[in-house]
Amino acid sequence: MTTSVNPLTSHQYWESLRTQGFCLPQCQACKEFHFYLRPACPACGSLNIQAVVTSGRGNVYSFSIVYRAPSPAFEKDVPYVVAIVATDEGPHLMTRLIKVKPEEVTVGMRVMVSGWRTRDEPAERLSDGVAPPLFEPESL
Amino acid sequence: MTRVNGSRRPPLNAVIVGIGESTVGRVPHLDALGLQRMAAANALADAGLTFADVDGLLTTPIRVENWAMPCGVVSEGLGIQARYLATLDVAGASGVAMAHHAAMAVASGQCETVLCVGGQNMLSFQSRGDAVQKLADAGWAHPDFEMPHGPLVPTLYALAAQRHMHEYGTTHEQLAQVAVTMRENASLNPLAHKKELISVADVMQSRMITSPLRMLDCALVSDGAVAFIVTTPERARDLKQMPVKLLGHGYGHSHTYIGDYKNVTTTGAVRSGQEAYAMAGLTPRDIDVAQLYDCFTITVLIELEDLGFCAKGEGGHYVASQGIGLSSPLPVTTHGGLLSAGHPGLAGGMFHLTEGVRQLRGQAQARQVPDAQVVLVHGNGGIIGLHNTLILGKG
Repeated sequence: MTTSVNPLTSHQYWESLRTQGFCLPQCQACKEFHFYLRPACPACGSLNIQAVVTSGRGNVYSFSIVYRAPSPAFEKDVPYVVAIVATDEGPHLMTRLIKVKPEEVTVGMRVMVSGWRTRDEPAERLSDGVAPPLFEPESL
Repeated sequence: MTRVNGSRRPPLNAVIVGIGESTVGRVPHLDALGLQRMAAANALADAGLTFADVDGLLTTPIRVENWAMPCGVVSEGLGIQARYLATLDVAGASGVAMAHHAAMAVASGQCETVLCVGGQNMLSFQSRGDAVQKLADAGWAHPDFEMPHGPLVPTLYALAAQRHMHEYGTTHEQLAQVAVTMRENASLNPLAHKKELISVADVMQSRMITSPLRMLDCALVSDGAVAFIVTTPERARDLKQMPVKLLGHGYGHSHTYIGDYKNVTTTGAVRSGQEAYAMAGLTPRDIDVAQLYDCFTITVLIELEDLGFCAKGEGGHYVASQGIGLSSPLPVTTHGGLLSAGHPGLAGGMFHLTEGVRQLRGQAQARQVPDAQVVLVHGNGGIIGLHNTLILGKG
């Protein structure tokens, strides 16, 4: 991994997700993780940020079962679960919970990154052709 | 209070002297500019002014037509020769922000009479489905990391509601009470889009949109426009109405995207409230009417807490026990709000301000809160992250 004084670009982050597995932006000066991408570390202002592979695990911080699709592209999915996951490394992120019945989702349940590497349905609105990571109930 | 950027700020020497609205609801015969002109003409007539008296103009973006430069379109459409004009966009907080910017413009002598106007035919221009999709695509969810998961704008608020329920035991019955009260208020407001009364059961049985929020937990989609006039206290002496003073104002921004914000049940409203109370030299106990922003039922609960009207986590209990209706200790959003009176996009929060002025003037008719001396008007932009608080008093 190259060290750069330029902040991590969106393209570099997606490339890391694709080639290395689930990762989060980490400031190399103060070691704080953050998410989503920012032009500088939100904790210390350093520009030295790299995508670092993390556990891919966390807790459901909140969730909502979506019954009414925002656009026709999502109609085949309803009802689906949009959630905020508190990752074990700290950052919170929005995701879709899969491989779970919507009515069985609870705040606090353990989840982990699911099959984003092999996901074959095309991701929407993403220029890099990579879907953002989805989560599923944790298995050990 | 927390001092972040220096000393206490002085109040702005400016007053609100005119208010007006267009017809609200379904108004298919008027386009956005037509609605804005109707509201502006009503506000100027209310003040005893004409378009020729206006030398400042503030407006806010619309979504239904492609206006590349809204303040230019409105200025030309209304025939205004402004010495100061701008398009403000802090989303739902824009209405309150317009009052603040207009007050800065007149208090600093850059112009004398500012017309603040906004609104659009958000209902008639498009189907409700198109309106929902347009909102979902507008960037309220992060375009790379959130939108691909398919959240509606209501989903983003539902995430706050679900967490509030988890942390504090808030119930859907308590949320529903907010919608019921807004409809009661709207039923007394001749301008309101929806006037037929609803019950807690109606809210709880309305169509589930994005759990835990149902259809009646969500703001309307309406046609309509709102305007108000800000000028100097000196100029106000010659005008028709009792002027309304801007006693305090503050901003608070906690987050832009809800997904990465780590404490979704506490918002920038804490700081905007503290700033506004400090400027006014007042406390929450001094507020007679709270015109809270009500894009969703959960928004009102969180604002009641963050603005200091009840303790954190007790918003649901507060609404269910004391109530927020016209006969409660603190009447909230007396015109019926975005949930029932009308929601024509970014201008929706301006209704909260014009109603606040009516309450102080004693012109709120069946909705009048007896002896209202101090009114708080709150705006919320984005996903319950960007807030501003305005405190108004009799001039």
